[in-house]
Amino acid sequence: MEHPILFISVILDWIGLPVPHGPIGATFLEKLCEPYMTYSWLVMAFLFVVPKLTLGNLELVPGTGQNFWEALISGLFEFIAEQLGREKAKVFFPIFATFFLYTVIANMIGLLPGFMSPTSSLNVTMAMTIMVWLMHHFLGFRYHGWKYYKHFTGPIPLIAPFMMVLELISNVARLLSLSMRLFGNILAKETLLAVLFMLAGAFFAPLPILALGVLVSLIQAVVFVLLAIIYCAGAMEPAH
Amino acid sequence: MRKSGWDKTMVNKKAENKDSILNELVRYGQTGMTFSASIFIGFGMGWWLDNKLFAGKTAPWFSFIFLGFGIVAGFKHLWDMNKKISHD
Repeated sequence: MEHPILFISVILDWIGLPVPHGPIGATFLEKLCEPYMTYSWLVMAFLFVVPKLTLGNLELVPGTGQNFWEALISGLFEFIAEQLGREKAKVFFPIFATFFLYTVIANMIGLLPGFMSPTSSLNVTMAMTIMVWLMHHFLGFRYHGWKYYKHFTGPIPLIAPFMMVLELISNVARLLSLSMRLFGNILAKETLLAVLFMLAGAFFAPLPILALGVLVSLIQAVVFVLLAIIYCAGAMEPAH
Repeated sequence: MRKSGWDKTMVNKKAENKDSILNELVRYGQTGMTFSASIFIGFGMGWWLDNKLFAGKTAPWFSFIFLGFGIVAGFKHLWDMNKKISHD
């Protein structure tokens, strides 16, 4: 379904850059101008610029902006520390906090008219999931050395090759399930909003869905980060 | 020496609050997704072996075998979840 109006695409079109009309562009430049790419950059720019503007100089007695960011960051840290323990949370805080902030902004930006959620494209969620997937296996090897393979063989040596295949399948399934859940939820929200807006936008029909959309965006971001943490914790814990 | 985050002694340390409600909600909520995904992945692997690697010579067999593997992997995931519940 065609998204109503995306203002970045309109601007790029006006400048003269080739904005693809299908979901996937043909040339490299068209690929760069796909809506999910441009809006993903918008989210990144937002995350760079807005903290810079609101934070100002760090002070001992925080002002409003600094107060907000301190509350957010310390809340996030406590959330991660609850799952991983304090020492590990210090190490892994940057990546999980980045995932959370990016996902939550990317989910929420689709609620505004003229914007779309980058996370409603499977490419973006799959990229994030591949990062998580590679990271948790890297951590497994980092913490256990070559003995990490014992996570995949099971307790009985006789059926170890069989278990290897099963574990391989369920490991790749993580890749699919994690990306598909985020993508599906956000795409559903976007599509529902677009349909309701076109059907009965004048009667404020999308309003309840907008309220639910805020909830879905937050919950999906939390779930994504929490699952990433659970996978990493699972890779780091000792083999049974 | 600076105490680095990679310190191996902290591997075995139990996290403070690992089984909060949110944690369990997320983990068991994802179970259904993972179950179906492992079936698809299993079948996809078999299909790839059949049609790409062996160029259709073994046609339906690897698909069926790996579909079976996928289903078993899904149930193994449920089994692991079950063990985790009864363990806590």
